Order: sequence, then C-alpha cells, then structure tokens
Amino acid sequence: MTSPVNAVNTYNRRQVLALLAGSAACACCGAVHANKLAYDLAATEIARGTWAVHGRTEYFTLENGGNIVNVAFVEVPDGVVVIDTGPSRRYGEALLALIEKTVPGKPVLRVYNTHHHPDHFLGNQVFENSLIAAPQKVIDNINAEGDGFTDNMYRLVGDWMRGTRTTSPGKALEAQSEEIGGRRFSLYYLSGHTSADLVIRDDETGVVFSGDLAFYNRAPTTPHADIDVWQESLSVIASLDKELILPGHGLQDKVGDSLVQTGDYLDWLQQAMTEAASRGLTMNEAMSLPIPPRFTTLDVVDTEYQRSVVHLYLAFEDDLMPLIEMK
Amino acid sequence: MRHSKSGRSLRNCCFVLLLSISAMAGAYELPADPLESVMWENMAKRFFPGEVVIDQRVIVRAPLDAEDQMQVPITVDATQLENVVEIIALADLNPIPHILTLHPVRAQPFVGFRVKLEQSTPIRVGVRTSDGVWHVNGVNVGAAGGGCTAPALAHGNNDWYKTLGQTRAVTRRESVDLARLSLRMRHPMDTGLAAGIPVFYMSKVEVKSADGVALANLDLFEPISENPTLTIKPLVSDGITELLVYARDTEGNEFEFPLAVPATVDN
Repeated sequence: MTSPVNAVNTYNRRQVLALLAGSAACACCGAVHANKLAYDLAATEIARGTWAVHGRTEYFTLENGGNIVNVAFVEVPDGVVVIDTGPSRRYGEALLALIEKTVPGKPVLRVYNTHHHPDHFLGNQVFENSLIAAPQKVIDNINAEGDGFTDNMYRLVGDWMRGTRTTSPGKALEAQSEEIGGRRFSLYYLSGHTSADLVIRDDETGVVFSGDLAFYNRAPTTPHADIDVWQESLSVIASLDKELILPGHGLQDKVGDSLVQTGDYLDWLQQAMTEAASRGLTMNEAMSLPIPPRFTTLDVVDTEYQRSVVHLYLAFEDDLMPLIEMK
Repeated sequence: MRHSKSGRSLRNCCFVLLLSISAMAGAYELPADPLESVMWENMAKRFFPGEVVIDQRVIVRAPLDAEDQMQVPITVDATQLENVVEIIALADLNPIPHILTLHPVRAQPFVGFRVKLEQSTPIRVGVRTSDGVWHVNGVNVGAAGGGCTAPALAHGNNDWYKTLGQTRAVTRRESVDLARLSLRMRHPMDTGLAAGIPVFYMSKVEVKSADGVALANLDLFEPISENPTLTIKPLVSDGITELLVYARDTEGNEFEFPLAVPATVDN
C-alpha cells in the first residue's frame, strides 16, 4: 500500500524539514513521527491451534499505542476465528499480517467482539464487516459510544490511531453456539464489566475467551461496571467446562485464578466504596484509602483504583446517603 | 523648632499616605505561578487583592486527569493554617473560573466539591487569613473538553424539576467538637453555556447551629457539578446536636432542613 507514511521514508532530513515548513506541514509532522510507530505483535500458542496476542498490562499511552489488550485467533479446519481486534486500524493491520504469517493461506471466517471498549474493537475496520459478530447489545453500545471512545483514543495515544473509524459488527449474535469452519463455539451472553459481555468457548480445545470479565495480575477497569452482575458472571464462567481461560488483560490461566482474583478485587472495591460513602468521605479521600497488600502487585492498580472511585462513587453515595426531609 | 516639627509630621504624613497609595496600587509583588498558567496575573488581580503567598499548607487534592469531566472531585484542606476567613476555588481556564467561596465562620477550613471542567486547567485555591494575606496553591488537572457547555443530565428527564432540591446527607461527629457533613442536592447547575438552557444554579448554602449561629457559608457558582455534592466540617463545640441547612438557587427557590449530629464520636 502506498501511503504518505511510506513516502516519507525515502526523504532525507532536509526534504522533510522543507516539507514541514511548507503548506503540507500538518499532514507531514505526524507522518514523520509515524515512521517509528509499529505494533510489535507476537503470537503465543496457548493451546493447540490457539494463539494469544498479549498486550501490555498498562494503561493507554503514546508509547504503547493502546496495545494493552489480549487478542486471540484460532485455527479451525477451514479457516481462522478471531477474538477482538485491538485498539486501532493500525493494530488491525498488524494483527491480520500476524495471522497470515502464523497460519498462511487460511481465510478469516469469523471475528468476535467481546464488548464495546475501544481496545477490543477499533481494529474492526480491516476485517470483512459481515464476518464481525457480537451480541446486539454490544453493537448498540458501539453505535452509542464508539465515536466518543475513538475521539478519546486519539487524545490518549495520538498518531497510532490514524485512519481509525468506529466500525460496528455486521452480524448480531443470538445463538447459544455456532459452527465456524468445522469447529463449534459456545457463546455466553453475560454482563457486568459492561452492559453486554460476550464469552466464547472453543468446544474442541476447551479454551474460554472471557473478554474483560476476567483480568489477571492487572487491575480490573470499571467505567461501565455493575459489580453485583459482574460477580454473577464470574460464577457462570467458573462453572463452565473448560481447560484454559484467556482473560482480556494478563496471561492465560489454567486453574481459574484470574476469576478468583477479579472477584476478590471487586469485592474489596465494593467494601471500600461502601465504607467511604457511608462515612461521607470526599472522592479524593476515598481515592487515598490504602490498597490491601494482596492487590498492590496488580499492574496499574493505583491509577485504576482512582478511576474506579470516579466511576462508582456516585452510585454508592446515592445508596448510602439517606434522603433528608425538607422543612 | 516648631517649623521643623511640623515639617517632620508633614513628611511622616506624606510617608504614610505614600505607603497606603502604593499598597492600593499593588505594592505587593505577585509571586511566580508554580502552575505556570497564562491566567495567573489576571486571576490574582481579580480574586486575590492584596498580599499573595504561595503556600504548600493549602492542600488541593484532585486527580491528575479528569476521568469524568462533568464530575471532577476536588478537596481543599487548609487546616494547617490558622484564622482562615475565606476560601476561593478557581478553574483558571474554565469560561467561568469562579467555582466557589467558603466562609468557614465556625468550621474547619476544609471543603469537598465536584466541578465541571471545559478543558485542562489549573485548579487554584486562595485562602485568606484574618491578616488579609492570600495563601494560594493548586494543581493542574487534565481534561478532554466540553464539561461546561454540555447540558445537564437532568434535561434528559422531562420532570427533573419535581426532584429539585431533593437532598441526601450524612452527618458524623468526627471528634468531640468537630462534625463532618456531606450532602448532595439535586440541581441541574446550568451554566447558561449550553445552547437554549439559561443559567440556573444553586448559589448559596448556609450551615447554622439550631439556634441560628452561622457555622459555614458557601457561595456556589456555575462550574459546580450537577447535583452539587459538598463536604464541610462544622465546629460543634458548644454541644450542638443539630445543624440547620439553608440553600437558595438563582431563581429564588429556597430549601431548608435540619440535620442531626450524632452525640457519639465515630471515626
């Protein structure tokens, strides 16, 4: 593909400076910087014919380009099934290249979006739209909030996002399971991390793709969380017949530690918010409460905890501050 | 001698006069702004007349980044200063910078609130002590944009006015002579900057003892978040077991209610 990015590669420094000074400056300064922007994606085979593309357990930064998420792909008899598409068009392109390198010549037959958070679906653009599938509620959420997320991602990670547009899935899922290219996948319509979270199980290998209902050694995020519902969903995942869990963030997990850890953290979050709101603490005071030692090893727990206070505290106050009778 | 004496007193007179003129003209040098805001001189001139010192004892707590720019939590704690008369909180780069003024008449110089931010801005707090000095400190808060010009969530609901002023509150006795009062009052807090929605906000909250002694007086302004949520710490040393809250908005709606202060200390 010929693009301004590639074109600039062949310019020498003086030419680039001349361009910068000229009317093309705005279009160009990003492109010069873009030289260095490449996702270094690697596929790790976590089960037979099943690859995880692990993201860093960080928050969105200009350095990581939003590559903080686990994406996966599965080789099925007739092709490839992809779970989530990453944070940007550029990521989607790198993912496609990685799939082609890992399982050459096999067509992508299905792409699932587990939920509507931007790191999970903004690579959709590079896939055939009719192959991208999610529960109707996930599609509704993408349609309602996707553009806002996309704008915010440009602000958070900058030029990595170039050319990324919100693209909602072309197919709404309803079935309890579906056969794709000779492999059956069970679909579980859960919620709690957001108002719609899809969990997928490969019935052949027993790998469960939990989306962001499970985090592992990385603090859970809560911008659309309903903690009680989330806990119920964790119980459902725990009860599934399975061999391995790939969480949305963090390493794969054989014995279900990610579910226990996520549930434990959410429990503590709920207790801390309850205690703080019933004592009338300000949000800033609630943010300074000590994090128990068993969670201090979770990546980005300090920032995620502070974000969670902002997400959750109002609802706890509404529940815990009694209504006053007016004179 | 007489002449010289009167000459000296005239000179003294002039000297005093000069002093007071130069004070009026801003003899106090404005310290450099640790937040490096382009609005610093303007803010100081408008809100902090007189001597200004940058003072780390004014603790301003806010997140580095606004996760929700409609509800950015701020807590001001100036309890390390004595004889605090007035606290003013500002958002330099908001279209309306003045957030609130607190007169902690008989209260700790402490206030928690939430604010709408239009863009990344310094949150600046000036604390005036009884000697007239403004003790100023603040923090920079990052924000995406659009907090003040977006309509309140209440306007998504056709009968929002039915719950106007509805209040939730928690009152605790933190020590023998100190209460903590956190309250939330339903109010859209319209800035007048969202298209077609005129300015309409809760402008005054007064906390008194049951016998009418003023404890804390708050003036709120447009940047305060929808459904203002405020935390203050009234002194309850005189055996106060009940507080009276009086609030008024810019349309003259008045709200008044008593709040019991528990007799036992709970900390």
